[in-house]
Amino acid sequence: MKFPRKEKDRIQELIDTIDACSLTELEGIPLFPELEDNVTFLKHLFSDCSDFVIREFKQKNSVHAIAIFVDGLIDTKEVNQALKALMILEDGDDSIEVIEEDLLPVSQIAKVDDYKKLLQAVLSGDTGILVDGNTEALTLGIRGAEKRSVNEPEGEAVIRGPREGFIENIRTNTSMLRRKLKTPRLKMKSIVVGRESNTNVVVAFLEGITDPQLVEEVSSRIAKIDIDAVLESGYIEELIQDSMYSPFPQVKYSERPDTVAGALLEGRVAIFVDGTPMVLLAPATFWMMMQANEDYYERFQMSTLVRWLRYLFVFISLLTPGVYVAITTFHQQMIPTTLLLSIAAARESIPFPAIVEALLMEIAFEALREAGIRLPKTVGQAVSILGALVVGQAAVQAGIVSAPMVIVVSITGIASFTIPHFNAAIALRMLRFPIMIAASILGIYGILVVLLIIIGHMANLRSFGVPYLSPLAPLSVGDLKDVLIRSPWAELQKRPSFMGIQNARRMDAGFAGGIERDKGQEGVQGNKHSNEEGSS
Amino acid sequence: MKRMALVFTVVLSMLTVVGCWDRREVNDIALVIAMAIDKEPNGLYRLSVQVPLVSSLGGASGGGGGTSGDKSYYVDSAVGETIRVANNKIQARMSRHLYYAHHRVVIIGEQLAKEGFSEPLDIISRFPENRLTAYIVMTKGKAISLLEAQPQFERFSGEAIREMVKAITIPVTIKDISQMLNTPGVDAFLPIFEAIDSQPKGKSKEIGATGIGIFRGDKLVGKYTSQEVGGLHWFQRTFDSFSTLLDLGSGQRFSVYFQKGRANIEPAIKNGRIHYNIRIYTTVGVVENMSTYDLSERKVNLMIEKKLEKDITESIQKIINKTKETRSDTIGLGIILARNYPIEWKRKYRDHWNDVLPHITSSIESHVQVSNVGQTTTNITKEDP
Repeated sequence: MKFPRKEKDRIQELIDTIDACSLTELEGIPLFPELEDNVTFLKHLFSDCSDFVIREFKQKNSVHAIAIFVDGLIDTKEVNQALKALMILEDGDDSIEVIEEDLLPVSQIAKVDDYKKLLQAVLSGDTGILVDGNTEALTLGIRGAEKRSVNEPEGEAVIRGPREGFIENIRTNTSMLRRKLKTPRLKMKSIVVGRESNTNVVVAFLEGITDPQLVEEVSSRIAKIDIDAVLESGYIEELIQDSMYSPFPQVKYSERPDTVAGALLEGRVAIFVDGTPMVLLAPATFWMMMQANEDYYERFQMSTLVRWLRYLFVFISLLTPGVYVAITTFHQQMIPTTLLLSIAAARESIPFPAIVEALLMEIAFEALREAGIRLPKTVGQAVSILGALVVGQAAVQAGIVSAPMVIVVSITGIASFTIPHFNAAIALRMLRFPIMIAASILGIYGILVVLLIIIGHMANLRSFGVPYLSPLAPLSVGDLKDVLIRSPWAELQKRPSFMGIQNARRMDAGFAGGIERDKGQEGVQGNKHSNEEGSS
Repeated sequence: MKRMALVFTVVLSMLTVVGCWDRREVNDIALVIAMAIDKEPNGLYRLSVQVPLVSSLGGASGGGGGTSGDKSYYVDSAVGETIRVANNKIQARMSRHLYYAHHRVVIIGEQLAKEGFSEPLDIISRFPENRLTAYIVMTKGKAISLLEAQPQFERFSGEAIREMVKAITIPVTIKDISQMLNTPGVDAFLPIFEAIDSQPKGKSKEIGATGIGIFRGDKLVGKYTSQEVGGLHWFQRTFDSFSTLLDLGSGQRFSVYFQKGRANIEPAIKNGRIHYNIRIYTTVGVVENMSTYDLSERKVNLMIEKKLEKDITESIQKIINKTKETRSDTIGLGIILARNYPIEWKRKYRDHWNDVLPHITSSIESHVQVSNVGQTTTNITKEDP
């Protein structure tokens, strides 16, 4: 088949104008009918791409065809099987439709007609089949890239609960969620973000539970993102959150399928991003950051207690150094005399004022923590020994830092580690510094001023329209049963109302209160009786 | 962005302009643990303060050893027309700021108590650093001598006095004393403390409670000894249990412990005479049996109860007598009268209650119940009779 001269020129022109380009620029450029031109164009596009393979072959009926794929992203064995079918076994028409429907025994197969779609699929790991004389190509979804196995998530360890965590592969991740929620209601909308990275992003939600407006808002915010690459879900989080400058995270992330499923059941939206195990959950509230998935698996008394412990430690991690500085420099009358004498005795030989001492120690602590994360595990141990010895012991002995200050700093540190969500813990740790400085200038009054500013800011904050402090502010009393306490499951019959949920009931009204308790024990006995009667 | 810049400017100027004006580090203050006020013969006031030497308290290791021998505190005093003048004089020779928010006890010297102590107390209620919950005591002789005593258990005598006031005597705080001084119908009293040489004579000077001083207005008019104080316990708002000796004569002695107690005082005005019906109800436990009696016997218990009733009646009679004699109403008989006869009180007695006091009459009754004699009935070292 020969094409007019004019067509040839157009291809040459295209090749000349389109230099190394991104996929978006290829939008609307159709496949050329002549295979030769396609090969020329592809070779031009992927010049110097050593991993891009163009396999030219003849079908059994001697029609020329090529298979294109990225080496390493495909399952070679399976692709060979598909090619075998074309080259050796089947003898059919040369039209794409026939190949798709009759010849290729591949479960995931799609037809594409422009370069953008074709290359997007191929670069994601599909194999493209182009047959001479066709303006359509086939993409075979036979992927086989290396991926990490499913492991226990290190960032969110539990004592009781599933041990699986998401991995970097988005398909594996969505499948893990699907395994938790086997329902056609679980919808997964796919969006591609990033000009160069072409990252697959999936917005998952439960239809009929989640507010459709929320899904619309999330999807449209993600679709509006125009960035060269999305390497982690953090990019998306920052680009779609409501308040850019707030220190508080307005989107929660998790690497646990059970946490994500739980959030979906509360009417939230999950955002999967290819290439990271961290799945975003929106909208998020402050209380969500204080909750761990295990709260719902353990007995409710213990979970309630642990939640209160966390709330207490939020205040401790935020206020302790500030209060210490304020009391020892302004309000000495507030401490019991004997305690004051001990503090005074410990501070006697310290050359710095309390605020300098506090800043010194807090910064040293933050540095130690940071060093501990980045370093390889073997060196990390050395850092912790060094930190404990130098900061804890030597600094006190040398009379540079007082012992009470060391206690204050370590309590603060421990307190901030009790907050399950790392993001939120960091926000509180950051806010500790303005509080300390205000305390050193204005005492307790200064602490209160900064605290009021923080609370005001939090009350003002919204995550996708949901007030950050809800259900506490604005108050919705019914939802407090999962915030102030963790009610037993039988009492948690309704989903949180502040989420704008459609299907509010988790449990059927008839089931409310769980199984009929008063019959629980008798039931077994009753059975026995009836058995005896039956036998006699 | 403009708003951010504005906020930043405001915060920055807040930091630099305000400048921590009353910032005071812990090691820039001298904590006054106790203060003593005396009146000098020339009419001036002597203020003495007890300040712990923080560096010798042994804080962190490496905190430098003590600088003044084994003394962990320091007493300084100065004389001035007012307390504040004296304070300024002490401050003038002290490198740290005198800080009164932690004083736990105020000691009034005997001379000041005799001449009236209300004037120097004004600063304690007026100056916000001071605490109304601090205890107030008086001493025989000079108040400063009590500050210089060195009790063994506590690091500072001020601390020791505070603990003892709470545990042994009837505690009086500055708030209490101001109420007593301002309420017609009740007169003030203060516990008396003295420095006592420890036995056998060692190097320490212990502090002991030796009685209670009785005031009319703000002036000292008499004293109860420790033995006489017992009777006063019955009339306090909260009954603090205390123990006493019970002597049945001929070497038969018990120690008993009043567990619960309550006084019913009923005043009556008949023909212009005021009569008080005082009834005491108490339960006691026996803590020591130095007699040959067997406590399991009912008649022994009855005998103890009889004798105790007599003792209590006597001790209260003594208090009443002293009240009449000193014309100082430490029990608060006036208040009780005011509650029962408010009109008469207002019209006739309130303004010259202290002059009426010697003319009151009283009848005293006491009811004792022995409730706890311990696990052994007789003295286990003595043979069964």
